[in-house]
Amino acid sequence: MTVGLREIARYMRMGPTLPEGELAARVSTLRDRALAVARPVCTWRRFPVEDGAITSGGVRLEITGTLADHMAGCGAAFLACGTIGAAFDSFHRRVSVTSSLDGLIVQAVGAAMIEKVMDAMEDDIRRELAPGESLVSRYSPGYGSFPLEAQRPLLALVDAPLKAGVSLTDSLLMVPSKSVSAVIGVRKD
Amino acid sequence: MGKDFLCDGPVILDGAMGTQLQARGLLPGDTPETWNLSRLGDILAVHAAYIDAGARIVYANTFGANPAKYHADPPLEDVVAAGVALAREAAASSPHGAAVALDVGPTGRLLKPAGDFEFDAAYDAFAAQIAVGVKAGADLIAIETMGDLYELKAAVLAAKENSSLPVLATVALGEDGKLLTGANIECVAALLSGLRVDALGLNCGFGPEKMLPFVRRLAGMTSLPIAVKPNAGLPKVVDGRTVFSVDPEEFADGVAALVDAGASIAGGCCGTTPAHIAAVAARLKNAACRASRAERSSCRAASTVTSGSRALEIPFDDTIIIGERINPTGKKRLREALVNDDTAYVLREAVAQTEAGAHVLDVNTGVPGIDEAAILDATVRSVQSVCDLPLQIDTSNPAALERALRHYNGIALVNSVNGKRESMDAVFPLVAKYGGVVVALTLDEDGIPPTAEGRLAVARRILARGAEFGLSPASFVVDVLCMAVSADASSANVILDSLRRVRDELGCRTCLGVSNISFGLPARALLNASFYTMALANGLSAGIVNPLAPDMMQAYRAYRALTGRDLSCNDWIAFAPSAEIKTGAVARPAPAAAAEPSQDALACAIRRGLKADAAAAAREALATGSEPLHVIDRSIVPALETVGAGFEAGRVFLPQLLMSAEAAGAAFDAVRTAMPASGGGATKGTVVLATVKDDIHDIGKNICRALLENYGFRVVDLGRDVPPEKVLAAARRENARLVGLSALMTTTVCNMEATVKLLHEQLPGCKVAVGGAVLTADYAAKIGADFYSRNAMELVRLAERFFRPPAQDAANS
Repeated sequence: MTVGLREIARYMRMGPTLPEGELAARVSTLRDRALAVARPVCTWRRFPVEDGAITSGGVRLEITGTLADHMAGCGAAFLACGTIGAAFDSFHRRVSVTSSLDGLIVQAVGAAMIEKVMDAMEDDIRRELAPGESLVSRYSPGYGSFPLEAQRPLLALVDAPLKAGVSLTDSLLMVPSKSVSAVIGVRKD
Repeated sequence: MGKDFLCDGPVILDGAMGTQLQARGLLPGDTPETWNLSRLGDILAVHAAYIDAGARIVYANTFGANPAKYHADPPLEDVVAAGVALAREAAASSPHGAAVALDVGPTGRLLKPAGDFEFDAAYDAFAAQIAVGVKAGADLIAIETMGDLYELKAAVLAAKENSSLPVLATVALGEDGKLLTGANIECVAALLSGLRVDALGLNCGFGPEKMLPFVRRLAGMTSLPIAVKPNAGLPKVVDGRTVFSVDPEEFADGVAALVDAGASIAGGCCGTTPAHIAAVAARLKNAACRASRAERSSCRAASTVTSGSRALEIPFDDTIIIGERINPTGKKRLREALVNDDTAYVLREAVAQTEAGAHVLDVNTGVPGIDEAAILDATVRSVQSVCDLPLQIDTSNPAALERALRHYNGIALVNSVNGKRESMDAVFPLVAKYGGVVVALTLDEDGIPPTAEGRLAVARRILARGAEFGLSPASFVVDVLCMAVSADASSANVILDSLRRVRDELGCRTCLGVSNISFGLPARALLNASFYTMALANGLSAGIVNPLAPDMMQAYRAYRALTGRDLSCNDWIAFAPSAEIKTGAVARPAPAAAAEPSQDALACAIRRGLKADAAAAAREALATGSEPLHVIDRSIVPALETVGAGFEAGRVFLPQLLMSAEAAGAAFDAVRTAMPASGGGATKGTVVLATVKDDIHDIGKNICRALLENYGFRVVDLGRDVPPEKVLAAARRENARLVGLSALMTTTVCNMEATVKLLHEQLPGCKVAVGGAVLTADYAAKIGADFYSRNAMELVRLAERFFRPPAQDAANS
């Protein structure tokens, strides 16, 4: 995996500008170190969508709020979770001790990396589609009016703690911090 | 049943439970353990099929039944007891019989500092499950699929402290051979050997073929029986169903190779079936396990220390550096930091030593009048949150040692035991329980023997007593004690003689606090480095030194290059340029902006964010006669102002602002060293900063700290996930008029509100500023905060207004 300077700059909130000179060198060094500790893991599973919800075993995930509009017409969905791992967080804490700029850069690198991981996972998921099926864009709890509380059923249904090492804190934060969970609707032509 | 049944290999374990239950209708989201009471026949049938296939140990269906994870009906106690009883019933109905393992899986929570789950809470969850399993009559405890070294430690401790049953512990590696939280197989071997499990190994993760190199590495680390439970290859989705790629015969071939490599206990994990286990049992029927302890006498695990992700064997034929900086003896600033809970200072010391090349960090918090047990525990944990080096836990207080060892993630270097009966009686039981490589000080009731012979005699007695606790010489690092040569002219010779003889005659590793040698003499750095080289040449395995002292690092690297330990002199070549600069052999390149007068060059370097140039320009300005205060007022402050104003106007982005802040910081440091001691201490005011309880995202808070410090404020940074009471205590202690709180998530703003409320109730004079991604000015007002800052620069402006003398304030308003 690699991530480009432009993507990192976006997460560094640098507007339209790119890092130059000493800053660019620093971004590139920290990016390489972060890539060396990152450990991407993904897990996903396909479910039918029935009566506005995904139900399996004793768990029910309501497709509500803006997600319901987003997924209109989808008879199935993939639930997915990806992370770049706990060692990245440890590295981030370490660089933040001596420099908040390094902390800012590394967190931007992590944000760019997890996006890459999720994109790659979507490509893998696409290979599992039947002819005539396509994916709608991924949607995460907390976006729009799809509630953050959906994290619990979502992560349970993909067995995220065991399969990806991603779990929830009591305050519904995903840990490791650079983790993304999503519902990805399946649409038929 | 005795503990030996795990040693008489090959021992056949069962295969997957989950795969079998899914075939019988278990769905994603279901809680498999509830089937122990609702689908008894299915569970019995799975166990019976595995026993028929040849399994002699079956795992009860209790993998996920711990209180942290299991929230279903019926109650946990009932499903665990029923799970053990069903396995027992299946074993009893078979003519072959089988032992029943209580299956203990992970809690599904990530432990602190990676997550928010306390180590003690994880321990309690495991202990609850284990207590029920023991009562229900399990024959052994099988801890499996662990992906985090720290959680593994909690589980094993819970098993050992709540039962006398044999413990078999296996972990799940990823494709890269590491646990989810980064530990490698050497960490696992060292931890589990140190905690004295009865057997250890691998399960899940991948098929038998990929397990092979890791089983070889395990066999090279430990002589404990090795267990393997591979998957039936990798899962694939075919027509919407998950299938596994390795068939029973191929699986058995793979397992046979694992047994050849040292495993003696074998079964299957995900995707395996009774047919897989039958094939394994048939293949291993006449296999001789070369895994017996006699044949595999490896004890590398005994001399290995680890962090949560990194293992280090204390070398016998090479040498390592133990960083000595986190020890308050003779260090006023560190003592203040420990007393005032200034974690940030301690962490900076840890990171600086790590970056300088230390291999292990000493952590000593022995300050008179503090609660050493609490402070040592907290310091070890916070250092482990930012640093992946193994630590040396350094205390003479047994209660502090136990608490720190218990909560330590990994296997620590324990400093220290000595030849006094009292010391050995206190320390050895702790090492036997928590594992550890032990520093043995060669002193006893009669003091420090003046001769090498005397020190060896003490070391021999310590080793002999340690053996009674199951500790081999490999688990010791002998400290022959460094005494000042100014007090005793023979001191250095005795030390060097002792080092050599401990290595040659006792076969033990050695360590030494090198810089004591020069105590009481001038030019200590030179003496220290010279003596360090002499000690290295006499076999020193671990020097306790200051890795930030260039002379010591030069001596270390030169020794390794000159004695063939640094192959092709690669480390030396990489290190040489920095050594040459530090010794002044190469002229420093001129600052980029040298053409300008140096004060302007300084402002320019700050505006451009060039740290080295800014420091050099500041030194240059001072060297050419500028007054220190002048440099600050005329160059540093205006340059910072320009950049800050640019940020507020949207012309400069946050990274550039921070680069300038760092450059200004470097210039400040240069100026401060030139100022009389009293001149550098003036601050504009003290601000206490914290990220609120349950919130672990602190990047914004860190940026605020950096900028506030740059603008001349004193910052007491309490870190992240800080409970309200701790914020209150710090604000009270510091007499702080301004507290800054940050929160990232909507779900943690309630803790921010609680903190604001507590501060307002208890400290009416103290104002609270809040910030963070989810906050707005309205929201901040709603939770009772006095101020809201959109970003770090706003907080700086706010603090400037807040701490400005009232008269001036009135004039401006």
